[in-house]
Amino acid sequence: KKGRGPFRGKMYSEMNHRSRNRGGPGVRARLEEDDGDVPMSEAHDGPRNRYLPYGPRPNRTANIHITVRRDLPTPERSSSTSRDGGRRNWFKITIPYGKKYDKSWLLSSIQNLCSVPFTPVEFHYDHNRAQFYVEDATTASALKQVSRKITDRDNYKVRGSSFINSSAPPQSLQNELKPEEIEQLKLCMSKRYDGSQRALDLKSLRVDPDLVSQSIDVVLNQRSCMLVVLRIIEDNIPELQSLNLSSNKLYRLDDLSELAQKAAGLKILDLSRNELKSDRELDKVKGLKLEELWLDGNPLCDAFRDQSTYIRSVLDGHELPPPIAFDVEAPTTLPPCKGSYFGSDDLKVLVLRFLQQYYSIYDSSDRQGLLDAYHDGACCSLSIPFGPQNPPRNSLNEYFKDSRNVKKLKDPTMRFKLLKHTRLNVVAFLNELPKTQHDINSFMVDICAQTNTLLCFAVHGIFKEVDGKSRDSVRAFTRMFIAVPAGNTGLCIVNDELFVRNATTEEIRKAFLMPAPTPSSSPVPTLSAEQQEMLAAFSMQSGMNLEWSQKCLQDNDWDYGRAGQVFTQLKVGLVG
Amino acid sequence: ALTRLYLDKATLVWNGNAVSGQEELNKFFEMLPSSEFQVNMLDCQPVHEQATQGQTTVLVVTSGTVKFDGDKQRYFNQNFLLTAQATPTNTVWKIASDCFRFQDWAS
Repeated sequence: KKGRGPFRGKMYSEMNHRSRNRGGPGVRARLEEDDGDVPMSEAHDGPRNRYLPYGPRPNRTANIHITVRRDLPTPERSSSTSRDGGRRNWFKITIPYGKKYDKSWLLSSIQNLCSVPFTPVEFHYDHNRAQFYVEDATTASALKQVSRKITDRDNYKVRGSSFINSSAPPQSLQNELKPEEIEQLKLCMSKRYDGSQRALDLKSLRVDPDLVSQSIDVVLNQRSCMLVVLRIIEDNIPELQSLNLSSNKLYRLDDLSELAQKAAGLKILDLSRNELKSDRELDKVKGLKLEELWLDGNPLCDAFRDQSTYIRSVLDGHELPPPIAFDVEAPTTLPPCKGSYFGSDDLKVLVLRFLQQYYSIYDSSDRQGLLDAYHDGACCSLSIPFGPQNPPRNSLNEYFKDSRNVKKLKDPTMRFKLLKHTRLNVVAFLNELPKTQHDINSFMVDICAQTNTLLCFAVHGIFKEVDGKSRDSVRAFTRMFIAVPAGNTGLCIVNDELFVRNATTEEIRKAFLMPAPTPSSSPVPTLSAEQQEMLAAFSMQSGMNLEWSQKCLQDNDWDYGRAGQVFTQLKVGLVG
Repeated sequence: ALTRLYLDKATLVWNGNAVSGQEELNKFFEMLPSSEFQVNMLDCQPVHEQATQGQTTVLVVTSGTVKFDGDKQRYFNQNFLLTAQATPTNTVWKIASDCFRFQDWAS
């Protein structure tokens, strides 16, 4: 077996003058198995390693070795996209005794001579070795060429044998599942669990439609993923009796070593159609007392003359147990968002009427009329977003100087000044703000508090500036009103806080959609934002214009489904 | 533990969902996924005594971003009425009302 491989000759001759008494017979025997490599190495990672062991020694050509290690590649491995969970091939580069060199010097020396720029991934030391990963075969072979060419400070030459080791991706790049993903995985496993048989089917887990549709990549031949799965089993179904791990490209069972503890009652284990190469893998799952073991479709099968035998044990018929639900620990769904909250119809009428009156004055050329709306001792202040929500385009400059953000503004004088107090000051201030046109249809109201003497509500909506530098800019606002009762049916504002921001593209798109008056003779009620959305959707789906869509919806009490049915029937009727 | 900040008869309006009283508030917060808030803006005003009948109350208005588990990051506005409850030894502020909305609640 000696003399195989491209670099054999050189190495061997260089080795000649080395002291040969550093290794023992055991080493040599192994080496013969491995192409008769001579070196007498100290550390061994396994039968396939070839080490160029000893580092620089005085009076010798002590060397910086770069070893790019090679396994005999199997066809699947070298082109494997499955093992690395991605589309790349990984190669592990080793520099024995690399630890003694300064990392940046080492890497830049290599880079200077390497014909291909490379990015060392997960550079680390392992005993005296420096190691890192690179991404593809081209890079790896370019690095191969660099061997023997680097001279270190003491004028030692680099020497190297060159072996390409197709490697699993570095640990840091392997998929770590995020908590939300783990919750989804739990649900997925829950679906795949048959409580009556206590059987969990994880066959081809990676391509499970639920996981794929959420772009959750569960690669069971990666330790982190397998451990997550085992943890879920341990926490939720420790009574597991049957586990199917077939078709998951498992090439080792190290990660299953704790299976016996986590599922002590496991009787059936299906490992068929994986990549297990040796029956010794099974030694790694000690402690299981299986009745059935499936191994067909693994490379190891070729090494056996007879397939692994199994004892079929008949499971007695069981009563169907109650459905097993996994304990999903933390909620991950938000309550649905709803439209305006008025609390009562009376309040709704009161507030909507108030808003209609308020904004028709507010949108007029002179806001003086608002004096009647405010209490003598009223307060008013303005705020705008702080931070990335306020980008320079479409700036809120006009509002900036009056904006009161107590979180950022510490000066008590300024804080005082920016809080407008008394009716006259409040209205004078409002009159200075840009002229507006509000889209009443966009308004959403939340009634926050109500007592005999207080009504507190929030209004969210859209408006457009109609003059000045920012003419036509569309803004969104949230305005807090606190009011006391006035007269029989009125409100008198005591507190007014206005928050203005830029409207989003979607808000702009939906705004100011109100169609021309409908053909119906009854007065047009103001549409809420919900209704407006429904209207837009209905119009689109039915193909009717807004006027007729609105009529159809109104006639059906804004029951979308019903309106749709009615429309369909009508349409069918018309077409005949 | 959050409910301890609220008055017994406090109301929370959360994206249009009304939640009243300690028990409902408890259930609601338990059911809400965990979150990370960042408050970027805060403004406040003293509420006029005519409205509060002499009970010292402050209006607090906030906005910023929030990320709930299982949901994307969103902008929010949240407004509070905080009211002072005097005890013999000190003053404790409690939430009398809480109004929360995502800015993009409709999407």
